[in-house]
Amino acid sequence: MDNTLQKTQNGKRRINVSKGKEKTVGALFFVCAGLSVVAVFGIIAYILYASVPAFREYGFFQMLFGAKWNTERGEYGLLTMLVNTLVVTFGALLIGGTIGVFTAIFLVFWCPDRFHLRYEGKNRALRRIARAVNAINLRTVFDQVIKLLSGIPSVIFGYFGVSVICAMIKGMDVYGIGKGPLASALVLAIMIVPTIASLSKNALEAVPQSYFEGALALGNTKAQAVFRVVFPAARSGVVSALILGVGRAVGETMAVAMVSGGRVFFPEGLFTPVRTLTTNIAIEFADAGHAWDDPLRSALFASGFVLLLLALVVNLSLNLVPKEYKGKKGTKQLRGQGGEAVYRKKGLVPEILKYAAFFMAALVVAVLISIILFILINGIPHLSWSFLFGPSDFSHPSLLPAFISTGYVILISLAIALPVGIGAAIFLVEYAKPGSKLVKVIRTFVDTLAGVPSIVFGLFGNLFFCKIFGDTYSVVAGSFTMALIILPTIIRSTEESLIAVPASLREASYGLGAGKARTIFKVVLPSAFPGIATAAILAIGRIVGESAALIYTSGMLVTTEGSAVNPMNMGATLTVFLYMCWAEPNSYLGFNQAYATAVVLLLCTLILNFAVYLIQRRVQKKQKR
Amino acid sequence: MKDRITETGAKNRLDRFDFTGETAVRVEGVDLYYGDFQALKKIDMTVKKHEITAMIGPSGCGKSTLLKTLNRMNDLVEGCRVEGKITVGGRDIYAKDTDLSALRKNVGMVFQKPNPFPMSVYDNVAYAPRTFGVKKKDLLDEIVERSLKQAAMWDELKDRLKKSALGLSGGQQQRLCIARALSVRPQVLLMDEPTSALDPISTGKIEELCEELKQDVTIVIVTHNMQQAARISDKTGFFLLGELIEFGETEEMFTSPKRPETERYITGRFG
Ligand SMILES: Nc1ncnc2c1ncn2[C@@H]1O[C@H](COP(=O)(O)OP(=O)(O)OP(=O)(O)O)[C@@H](O)[C@H]1O
Ligand SMILES: [Mg+2]
Repeated sequence: MDNTLQKTQNGKRRINVSKGKEKTVGALFFVCAGLSVVAVFGIIAYILYASVPAFREYGFFQMLFGAKWNTERGEYGLLTMLVNTLVVTFGALLIGGTIGVFTAIFLVFWCPDRFHLRYEGKNRALRRIARAVNAINLRTVFDQVIKLLSGIPSVIFGYFGVSVICAMIKGMDVYGIGKGPLASALVLAIMIVPTIASLSKNALEAVPQSYFEGALALGNTKAQAVFRVVFPAARSGVVSALILGVGRAVGETMAVAMVSGGRVFFPEGLFTPVRTLTTNIAIEFADAGHAWDDPLRSALFASGFVLLLLALVVNLSLNLVPKEYKGKKGTKQLRGQGGEAVYRKKGLVPEILKYAAFFMAALVVAVLISIILFILINGIPHLSWSFLFGPSDFSHPSLLPAFISTGYVILISLAIALPVGIGAAIFLVEYAKPGSKLVKVIRTFVDTLAGVPSIVFGLFGNLFFCKIFGDTYSVVAGSFTMALIILPTIIRSTEESLIAVPASLREASYGLGAGKARTIFKVVLPSAFPGIATAAILAIGRIVGESAALIYTSGMLVTTEGSAVNPMNMGATLTVFLYMCWAEPNSYLGFNQAYATAVVLLLCTLILNFAVYLIQRRVQKKQKR
Repeated sequence: MKDRITETGAKNRLDRFDFTGETAVRVEGVDLYYGDFQALKKIDMTVKKHEITAMIGPSGCGKSTLLKTLNRMNDLVEGCRVEGKITVGGRDIYAKDTDLSALRKNVGMVFQKPNPFPMSVYDNVAYAPRTFGVKKKDLLDEIVERSLKQAAMWDELKDRLKKSALGLSGGQQQRLCIARALSVRPQVLLMDEPTSALDPISTGKIEELCEELKQDVTIVIVTHNMQQAARISDKTGFFLLGELIEFGETEEMFTSPKRPETERYITGRFG
């Protein structure tokens, strides 16, 4: 570590002679950056450690390849769950991948900028409406649709799945229920569409315009150019997008728990109840004992460990995606012998694909609208002042404690993750040598941390933070867990905004004799502020929407005597509250309360998304000037 | 071997362009606007078959713009409006029923920066025939071989057909793009500063190539290199601020230009 610091301090960027203070600051940033590496290893080690009793008793491979899971008989084979996870993920990838990729294609190539309503009549109001509609930027709207879809808490998708998707497909189910692999895959598909669509969009936009023009100049129609040249040129980015979508699907817990049926069977049809690795933990954890060597508890950690391995494999496979077309080995023998070339106007397939893109994009909008309507219609009637902010007790649960818990989690986890994340980003951009091995390693770990399923964070928090903070569930333990979850987002987006700060600004500051630390704090950070603010808001969104990681750390307590919540106590956040309405219903807590809560969460998501939009618009306007 | 354009069924029809006459392209009174800005003013120009026509002029005078109107690549630019008449192979290409695919099959284009697709060399050249429905393997083989030979690259590339086109040198990439454009046997080839990104040797190769290609295609080339225009072209047009100041035989233009602006430009006194 000393070595690298030394190197960078002698590097070009450094102008002032090193002072002791400066060194300390640099070392501090390095520690921040190293924390991600420590976190990844810590998570792996702790989860493995907690699975040891199970692995020791039943053997690693017996657990991995044993199909029987029966807690009463002490059978803890994970194979069924593993297979179910793979099957459901594959289904989600098939559906969500297609929809996501085609939506991205529509957005980049065919989404019109504006409506072109024409109204020539005399009615002034109508004319004004037409003008207002024409002023809407459709691309922005579509971007927001996708961002909104990605911001909706997963439990809401669970309710949508149970009440809408299952209802739609249950006609095909002989038992008339609709839960199972199909429902799970559909719900997951909706959830991974935003990831896949937005990343594929980036990949498509990165394809040089000259490819597109080159294809058109050869007589291609637009659809031919898009599907035969531009899309294949973006394939590595699209594949990466799909892999990240898979990562998201593999790790998703709550929504799947609600629609999968939850029984340990291999998938025998589209509608047999199944259980995935994640839902296995969600379903059984409450029944497990607290001792380290409790067989069920340990088996559940083993379930989490296998899940973690799977997620790591998915994440690492990202590095295997070839970045550029390399060609094939060997030489090609031509045996061309004449004949007459007949040129026809072709291109039916691209034309069909184009309409598929239109259709998929419309589908995404339709799904978002129906989710929103579904929540609003079912939830608004049950909203009341007393439900929102009244005192909360067992027979009159209100959201007040959940609001307070959520607020605590946001405050505490941001207070931890923001300084650490910003420090790490500063180290990566300002101190470390750009492109060095160290930077690559740290980035890999940051990405790995981002790919860890949130329920695994929950398990880790349960082992580590709950232990630290009084051997019990607490809001503080949940907050520390969330800090780890949001850390990668904050590092990444701070990094990006630091990189975007022009070098000339730094040079100007050095030129005035300012030291490195001073330059960073007074010059670089302020101009990176909008990016950091965006990261913080995105992090808040993640916290508000999180459930799996909090259930086993901050716990599921709804009522508090009075309503003041002590962060050292348990407390359900809004989303956990929403999950409890489903998981532990009673006569005071059920679907009605759930929908009302979902309205509140939806509103939060909307507000956060709007805030991000406003910040980004301001930044763009400034750049244009 | 003669390529044929089928006319079976209205949908599959590729409009027939008639290149039997003397004139390949005729530009008559063309005005072009980018929004409110007029980039071309009353351009009249006739491109004769099997000739190389060069367009010269200072930066921003509208050379690329005119070139792009000839295969309607300007359609991509929002707010671009063309007035006047442009005929290619006897057809008004801005008529309502123009088939853009057919037009661009007949009027190929080579860009300033080489833009091979991220595919193998073979697939690059076979790309356009494939999109026009040529499926038979041996036929594609033959087209690839013929096009690469036409672009004088066959010997260099015949053992690298499966390799990525992105791995070629800049000059090779540009000649591959020429081969790619030739694959569908265009009658006209538009080249927009095709050598400005290349070293002198590659430039020389492409100039040589142009001279050879003259027998098969009509070439319109934009260049900033006065010597290049003088070396390879039969006719030259000099543009200034969107106007075609002078158009005529290259030799004449470079030895005794009629207009003072032309002379000043050629002798390097402004531009
Ligand atoms: N897409 C466009 N939108 C608006 N104006 C344009 C566009 N393309 C070109 N112009 C303008 O039209 C004029 C002619 O541009 P053009 O690219 O044809 O010049 P050129 O002669 O090819 O120049 P160069 O030698 O630099 O390539 C310029 O003033 C340019 O600014
Ligand atoms: Mg130009």
